[in-house]
Amino acid sequence: MTNMWKAELLKLRRRRFLIGWTIGAVAFAVLSALTVFLSAAGPGEQAAARGATVESLGQAGGATQAFSLGASFIGILVLVLFIANFAGEFTQGTFRTLLMRQPRRLALLAGKMTALLAFVAVAMLLAEVLTVAASAAIAPTQDISTGSWFSLDGLGEAAGDYATAMLGVSSWAAFGMALAIFVRSIPIGLGIGIVWSGPFEHLIADAWTSASQWFPGLLLEALAAGGTPDVSVARALTLVAIYVAAAASAAAVVFARRDITA
Amino acid sequence: MRSAMTQAIDPGVDRINGPHLSHPAPAVRLDGLTKRYGERVAVDGLTIGVPAGVVAGFVGPNGAGKTTTMAMLLGLVAPTDGDGSVLGEPLDDPASFLGSVGALIEGPAFYPGLTGARNLAVLATAAGHDPAQVRGLLELVGLAERGDDRVRGYSFGMKQRLGIASALLGNPRLLILDEPINGLDPAGVREMRGLLGRLASEERTVLVSSHVLAELEQVCDWLIVIDRGRLVFQGLAEQMLAGGGASLTVAPEHRVDLDRLRDVVASAGLDGEIGGERLNVTINGADPHAVAAAVNRAAGASGIVLAELSVTRTSLEDRYLSMVRDEGADR
Repeated sequence: MTNMWKAELLKLRRRRFLIGWTIGAVAFAVLSALTVFLSAAGPGEQAAARGATVESLGQAGGATQAFSLGASFIGILVLVLFIANFAGEFTQGTFRTLLMRQPRRLALLAGKMTALLAFVAVAMLLAEVLTVAASAAIAPTQDISTGSWFSLDGLGEAAGDYATAMLGVSSWAAFGMALAIFVRSIPIGLGIGIVWSGPFEHLIADAWTSASQWFPGLLLEALAAGGTPDVSVARALTLVAIYVAAAASAAAVVFARRDITA
Repeated sequence: MRSAMTQAIDPGVDRINGPHLSHPAPAVRLDGLTKRYGERVAVDGLTIGVPAGVVAGFVGPNGAGKTTTMAMLLGLVAPTDGDGSVLGEPLDDPASFLGSVGALIEGPAFYPGLTGARNLAVLATAAGHDPAQVRGLLELVGLAERGDDRVRGYSFGMKQRLGIASALLGNPRLLILDEPINGLDPAGVREMRGLLGRLASEERTVLVSSHVLAELEQVCDWLIVIDRGRLVFQGLAEQMLAGGGASLTVAPEHRVDLDRLRDVVASAGLDGEIGGERLNVTINGADPHAVAAAVNRAAGASGIVLAELSVTRTSLEDRYLSMVRDEGADR
């Protein structure tokens, strides 16, 4: 597993790829901070759903509020990344090449998955740091105090927001990996993944109000929001953990038993 | 290499049942290996052995089951039935032997966005091998100058060379190569032939499949022929070729002596047929060189000077086609 972990990171350690991700992280930080700070509800104004207020931005967790709100959109990006990466190994025939070098299939899968998650974790950390920097630059223009941001409470809030964001993206990553292993095709995987996590669940939720208590994408949204009136954090966390465990186990069984013929 | 090989195996091997299977350590041993996909049987009770240290050609028509068999040897495809061993380790535990096996199967597969060198480094790292060997392998397969280019820009032949280099990572004791000369230009084919010879001379076992039988004929000591998933022949390449017979082409210095030469050959108990200015003599089972010498002596004793005397052996392709045809007729 360690060898595969190193091999996967070697694949990712490419200048263009890393520059692309850094530019993406900068764009994410600037756009998130601008969107959140410029749309923050002032005193006496009604904040939009999950929207920030000038008051909340001035508190300890204000530094990472833009990151926290923006991170819920990164889930889809991670889903796409993992589907493309894993399904691509099938379509390119590189799983075959890898398995001739690392025949312990579960070790291969685990090494690859943890390496990609480690990469995502670093990218998320970079995105959070950059978002804090962008927020700190924008806050004075909106008369928002940053005094309590860098207190111990502020750092605690930042760590909590990062953990919540990583929980969400790790879950999307597991769903993406499982879907890719089931369908072994990038277009089919992306089609199913994006349609399911985007319009499909929300359309169902419009017709069936309890959908938000059961569907994985909606549960992850509730988790990112720190719970909703319909779904508590504990329920979202429990059900998401069950879904992730089921998806990962099914993918592992299929991958371990399937003939690699492509 | 040939003499060492013949010492290592029982020369009495022949069709279907190879006595070499009892050899203490064949590099590959398969016993009743079977793969079914629903109703279709891709590999049907295949029992073969590849002696250690040989270059073994794996021959069969399209769909014969060669690639499926190789995929089972590499743990990529699970057999439906049967068992075997690779380098003395059980077939159902590929992790126990794949560290000593290099393979190229179903064409080269690499990450197009990575350079050739980075692709090899990724595979070396995944296997726990030292990535420092990558440059040397790129040089060995003639890709030293293109190693830092992305694989996306490689021709198929270059990818094939990179595939060979990847198979050589970790200095494997057994190489399994599926159609390695596909996509190579004539110079590449020649290089590959030389490379296979060099690899085998390093006491390595090579199992290679190819449709270009003339190439296999030049590099293989051992041959395995399968058709529709079943074994047709396994044994020394010489034995397979010898089973196809040979012919002798004889031409007298003067055309007028041709009829007399045929009579001389007939008196030695051989059938000769005149074609143009030559006499074609069929040899059935006898040593072709001994027959040629006898014909030469008889012609000389009769005062006929020979301008040409040559032995033509049945090619591997002829022999293979006749075997596959016979096998088809038997079913």
